[in-house]
Amino acid sequence: MTEQAQNYNLEELMAIIISREVRDFETIGVGAVSPIPAAGSILAEQLHASHAQIMILESNEKKYYSFPAGISELHFLAQRGDLDLFFLSGLQIDRKGNINLHVIGDYEAPRMRLPGAYGSAMLYYMAHRVILFRTEHTTRTFVEKVDFITAPGATPANVHREGGPTLVVTPKAILAWDRLSQEWILESVHPGSSLEDVKANTGFPLKVSASIKMTPFPTDQELFTLRTVVRDKLKSIYPEFAQKKIRSA
Amino acid sequence: MVQAGSMGLPFISVRGLLGSDILKHRPDLRVAENPFNPGEEVVIAQPIRPDVAVFHALKADCWGNAATPGLGDDLMMARAAKWVIVTTEEVSDRELTPRDAVDQTFLPAIDVDGVVHLPSGAHPASCGNCYSIDDAHLKEYLEASKEERTFKSYLEKYVHSASNQEEYLKRAGIAVSPGEESRI
Repeated sequence: MTEQAQNYNLEELMAIIISREVRDFETIGVGAVSPIPAAGSILAEQLHASHAQIMILESNEKKYYSFPAGISELHFLAQRGDLDLFFLSGLQIDRKGNINLHVIGDYEAPRMRLPGAYGSAMLYYMAHRVILFRTEHTTRTFVEKVDFITAPGATPANVHREGGPTLVVTPKAILAWDRLSQEWILESVHPGSSLEDVKANTGFPLKVSASIKMTPFPTDQELFTLRTVVRDKLKSIYPEFAQKKIRSA
Repeated sequence: MVQAGSMGLPFISVRGLLGSDILKHRPDLRVAENPFNPGEEVVIAQPIRPDVAVFHALKADCWGNAATPGLGDDLMMARAAKWVIVTTEEVSDRELTPRDAVDQTFLPAIDVDGVVHLPSGAHPASCGNCYSIDDAHLKEYLEASKEERTFKSYLEKYVHSASNQEEYLKRAGIAVSPGEESRI
């Protein structure tokens, strides 16, 4: 760990990495319990994506459309093919890009029952790009095969799919989804981690990109903007997160 | 699903889902060919028509018009259900219209079958700006619901042994003096 690496925390790093992936002019949906993607999207809007249309479920911040008529608004928007970017997580994420939000263990006698999924199995298909985020990078998260496929990475023949998995952002790395070979490729390793560290904490053999790089450190501008403008906006949307996870500049 | 129920449709189609294990456990979701695009597989869903739906409103009138907190899918859910009961913080003595439900959801009388005056009826959950979530009570509920035995004693303590809402609230430590107007 270098000195620089200690100047930010895990949530800030992940939000900054997500912000770099957001493109200008995109229509972006942020679902329930997603403070990191919300922070990343707003940061991108401040830095390079000022025309992005950001929608945050149940947001009180007037600027970000909150789907006031219900979450069905978001679902139908995605089904029409109008959602460019969405964020999902998974308690397990497997080699084939499947995500699990349902159960750990056997479905009939689970070790852990998770909240399940509301629209994830549709949104994973219909958003043009889905960025997965997970606040731990461990072998219990990245497994060979998920215990339950909530939303599949692969698409059966003869089914319409607008998009699908694009990236996974974790505290250690960015994995990119290769549509051709239908598998994750290690694209970037964050400061503080290493190739060996990422491989050892991934529960399946991980292909490494020929152009693998070290994730660039958060810049002063990114950190400052995140801790000022973005933090202020987040206070009305995710007050606890803004207070506790994003430092004040 | 609920959408199809609210529209009185025999089924509705949904995008995505193919390849998800959800389909293995949900007989009300089936795979079918899109009749308008031969060869394409889509998921079709059976409509959901609950027998009864219960909503807690900020205010309602004696005809059944009601305003529930926030904007959302309440009207869709009310229309899907065969019977709709509204419990309410306050009963209005004049007829409510959609104008009384700005930033709230208006449930028109035609979609409501019964109204019950029930102040603090959303407890331990929140009700708009009226009151917020009772965190301590929810924690107790969550703790109790981990096991059959402890959950039974929770029910006994708060629900079964209380003969009405006032008693329930007393047990839950919520002070409501009878006849007190709720703040809206």
